[in-house]
Amino acid sequence: MSIYYYLSAFLFCLGLLGTIFKKDLISMLLCVELMMGGVSLLFILFSKSTGFLDAQLMVVFTLIVSACEVAIGLSLIIALYRKKQTIYTDDIKIITE
Amino acid sequence: MAMDILLTLLTVVFALMVVFSKKTVVAAFSLLMTLLSLAMIYFQLGTVFLSAVQVLINAGAVAILFVFVMMLINLEEFSNNRERNKVKLVISTFTMLVVLGVLALVINNNIETLSIVNLSDSSMTALFDKLFNSYFLPFEMATVLLLASIVACIVITGHEKHGKEELKEQDKMGVE
Repeated sequence: MSIYYYLSAFLFCLGLLGTIFKKDLISMLLCVELMMGGVSLLFILFSKSTGFLDAQLMVVFTLIVSACEVAIGLSLIIALYRKKQTIYTDDIKIITE
Repeated sequence: MAMDILLTLLTVVFALMVVFSKKTVVAAFSLLMTLLSLAMIYFQLGTVFLSAVQVLINAGAVAILFVFVMMLINLEEFSNNRERNKVKLVISTFTMLVVLGVLALVINNNIETLSIVNLSDSSMTALFDKLFNSYFLPFEMATVLLLASIVACIVITGHEKHGKEELKEQDKMGVE
């Protein structure tokens, strides 16, 4: 079971890496989902190792929040695509302009 | 232990594919497979309810939502998928068989967890007891959050009245 701790850390770090180095917004959002998966796994491991049942409920709430995040993030991407015709972060300079 | 290593390897491979694949569509489907392997891990750990929720919500809804948005945005990525590639067919079949084999192993290892006696025992009952008693307010707030996100999505992506001509131009560009 201890290997899963490393797996959750690995998933989180890989998601972080992807979020930083990916160029398009959809891939970045995919990597954020990967990070969420790692965190959920850690919650379940915590629940299993301590017998603390609240951690499993935290996973349910994490799932709800991540679903909301993805829905709003994707709709923002669609709105941005309609306005700027691009989803690449290099082309978006709304703040710096 | 061998089962744990096998599941970990499967998850790691698909997670690496999410980050390092060139095509976004491949990354989305790899994310789907990663979430499914995570669901298998949850099952292996004995949290059957969360495993089912993971398959239903994260893999079933969220990952497919990504694919739908990609269909709305990157039209050129889907254009060359018409031709059937034999190598791709072999690779995808092989991947499916590997995942199926692992899933069968997980179920075979945990066949006693699946029995009704175990499903109705203390852990599930305690979980729902906690959810609908001490966590009732957060649970209801989560429904409000979901409703708010639905409204936000409609508002953000909704068509503006004066933007109809622009949208028609976009459609023409997509057809070309």
